[in-house]
Amino acid sequence: MNSDKIVQYIQKHCIADDWTLNITKDDSHETRFAQNVITQHIAGAMKEISLSVAFGSKVGSCTVNQDDDESLAYIIKTAEEIAKLAPEDPEFVPSTGKMNIPEIANCDPQTKSLEPKQLVDIVQNSINRAKTYGATVSGLTEKHIETNGLFTKNGFAGEYEKSDFGHSLTLKKDEVETKVAYEAKEYAAFNLETLLEKLFTQAATLAVKQTFEPQKIAVLLRPLALQELFWFMGWMMDRRYADEGITPFTDQIGKPFFGEKFSWFSTCKQPTLLAPPFTSDGIIAEEIPWVEKGILKNLSTSRYWAKKMGSKPSVNYNMFIPGEGYSEEEMLTMVPRGLIINSFWYIRSVDVKAGEFTGTTRNGVWYFEDGKIKYAINNLRFNEIPQEATKRIIATGSSELANPISLLPAMLIDNFNFVDKTSF
Amino acid sequence: MKYLDLAMNAAETLGAEYADIRIQKTTDQVIYLQNLSLKHTSDNTMQGYGIRVFKDGAWGFAHSNVFSDEAVLATVKKAFDIATLSAAVNKDKKLRLAPERSYLSTYKTPVKIDPFSVPVSEKIDLMMEVSRTMLAYEGIKRTIFLLMMHKDEKLFASTLGTRLDLTTQFINPMITAVAVTESDSQSRTFDEGGRATGWEWILELDLIDKAKQIAEEALMKVKAETLGPEERRSLVLDPNHLGLTMHESVGHATELDRVLGWEADYAGVSFATPEKLNNYHYGSELINFVGDNTLEGGLATLGFDDDGVPSQKWYIIKDGILKEYGSTRDTALEIGLNASRGCNRATYYFNQPINRIPNLYLLPGTKPLTPGELIADTEDGVYIQGRGSYSIDHHRINFQFGGDFFWEIKNGKLIRPLKKVIYKSCNPEFWNSCDAICDKRFWRPFGVVNCGKGQPPQTGRMTHGSSTARFRNIRVGGSQ
Repeated sequence: MNSDKIVQYIQKHCIADDWTLNITKDDSHETRFAQNVITQHIAGAMKEISLSVAFGSKVGSCTVNQDDDESLAYIIKTAEEIAKLAPEDPEFVPSTGKMNIPEIANCDPQTKSLEPKQLVDIVQNSINRAKTYGATVSGLTEKHIETNGLFTKNGFAGEYEKSDFGHSLTLKKDEVETKVAYEAKEYAAFNLETLLEKLFTQAATLAVKQTFEPQKIAVLLRPLALQELFWFMGWMMDRRYADEGITPFTDQIGKPFFGEKFSWFSTCKQPTLLAPPFTSDGIIAEEIPWVEKGILKNLSTSRYWAKKMGSKPSVNYNMFIPGEGYSEEEMLTMVPRGLIINSFWYIRSVDVKAGEFTGTTRNGVWYFEDGKIKYAINNLRFNEIPQEATKRIIATGSSELANPISLLPAMLIDNFNFVDKTSF
Repeated sequence: MKYLDLAMNAAETLGAEYADIRIQKTTDQVIYLQNLSLKHTSDNTMQGYGIRVFKDGAWGFAHSNVFSDEAVLATVKKAFDIATLSAAVNKDKKLRLAPERSYLSTYKTPVKIDPFSVPVSEKIDLMMEVSRTMLAYEGIKRTIFLLMMHKDEKLFASTLGTRLDLTTQFINPMITAVAVTESDSQSRTFDEGGRATGWEWILELDLIDKAKQIAEEALMKVKAETLGPEERRSLVLDPNHLGLTMHESVGHATELDRVLGWEADYAGVSFATPEKLNNYHYGSELINFVGDNTLEGGLATLGFDDDGVPSQKWYIIKDGILKEYGSTRDTALEIGLNASRGCNRATYYFNQPINRIPNLYLLPGTKPLTPGELIADTEDGVYIQGRGSYSIDHHRINFQFGGDFFWEIKNGKLIRPLKKVIYKSCNPEFWNSCDAICDKRFWRPFGVVNCGKGQPPQTGRMTHGSSTARFRNIRVGGSQ
């Protein structure tokens, strides 16, 4: 059953005062390989139909993955029964009405047309090259085509399609471990040879490691490391949590809470960035400055909190951090010594109110001095407050796509707080 | 069900060396209450089937939610075709499956009161009362009550002739109170993790009393002092704290797929490599970890895993020495094991099963010892309850943990509550520093329902457990 027919069924049979219908479809192919062998290989299509209904401000929901009449009757009946039993919700907000939905090219036809054989060939070629290099590779090659639809009793009707192609490669050779990855909505910009060359270059520079003690030191965070660190902070950038005094952002809107070299936007205007045109509850994607030249401009705001506070609902749907355009080589000369960080791992909050996080480095750390990379070092653990770290930004590179929703530069930050080291 | 035979016959006709089908219906009921606003009350049902085909040393897995003869046959064909594609890549190094026999069996989680039969209104009334109790305390600004009920109904068939009918379920209540002052916010959570049981567990828990306790402790915590600079101290760790520590530093480290490097690209590898078996001092002589998928109430107590291998109980660490791993049919032979330990599990029908941590727990101490006596015997340390911040490297060696509630111990007494405490340690230092474990009267399980692993990511579940234990000379201090 297509989405129109599902919507028509709900319109005809749902007697609730209000309803919101989400329809998600996903057609995917995933090939996992490890140590030069394919270990998992998955293909299939899925569908999920979620209905949320309201009688007055009493709300109930139900989700199924079948779209026959019996299943649709079931979700209506179940959601309505739950709603009737629920207490009045003091924070109820009616469903979104008709909106102008921005047209954004989120689905790439070339990605959509990729066949399983093409994906397996990418794996085969990667393994062959790794064998020639005397190494093993592990990774994931994947393709997803996802459709998201939102329909409400109050007139919102929208559906969009998005594509995703990814190929990751973790190399292991003796004690060397490092990783490269490509993930984007567009397959067209993927070049396996470029990716492999980057992998082998990284691996070669990691062959000899020296022990390095944890300390405060300048770091050049490559785009993926920066994305991993700031995305966690982004989860905390919620207006209600700030207004209720839970996070460090309380009473900080309009103030220089970040360093002046730091800006962060969500945008529909960067063609390589994925930008879902609306959220599952109908918040429309707009150009939003979250931080502009260090000033906290906005925090994600739910529809309920926006209504209560008299502001506009907003959601952090992608990450665009503009850069100054310095090359990595130029940035290495800007501090006497420091570390290059490829990526982070297992970042978790340590102190919610302070906005402090911990995590470790992964996939390559290099010590540099006098503008030159000297040697690779062991991995390190950090405890750091990202917004404070932005006040120590020395320079930034050019924005690069780190993943489908993140376009950001490498960043040179002084006095990054490393507190422990690993044995490898 | 006719589709079981249809799929297996089709797979054999196509030339599969092995195949299985898992028809799975997963039902979730999730109720999420934030303060007095019911943010989410939903019944969710996902049903479909996943078919695995093994051919020439490679897997193909295809799934569908369409129940018809044509769709089942098309799904078998898809699985077979991608297994064939995989096999071409694996021609130099083929996967192998450990031998297993066939079973005709059923398993059902023992449940006295099915949580799905309890009226939603009764659940919501209880949750509202719990939230009102916490919000009645001045200074508690935010409360959360998340109640999850989960049921998996599986029919499994394989070309070995196995036919299984498995119904498993769990329930998980989690309650949080957040206290806010001018300068800080601190939360305290009641969280025993999930348990494979029925509504009767909820009735046994006095949740109103628990609500009062966590609200009072959240207020105590927000006004508490910090510990100060990092020093080597003793740690006395409660079972509902140790659950996560053992999950991260022992459970994941002893998954055989990680040991083999199969998770190298994402979840990571393991330092506990096969040459360490039977000789590596993972912990002190007090440390005995058991993998036990027969544990009553255990979240990984499922009768059989998704390879069709029955639940088992075995030592992973005995008297401090690494003895074995959690394994699957496609990993066991890689290190010379004769059979799988039955740890291959998928979350939903559309997931290919992966090597999972079993129910894994620390055996209690054999000498009589109460937590009170353990604290009385500790001169300088911190007593930690509940789980907080946690982070471990991708080799499962170096880690940093927080907690949910902390008391400073001086000269055998709990002298003051603390906040923002973290400790740093590593393998094998941490488990070798254990010098006391309370006896079996104080052993408690801790269920994990949100173990993320795999690509695409899956959420696994398993139960840990321990008695309160002491660890000496650990780096403990305030955050930053």
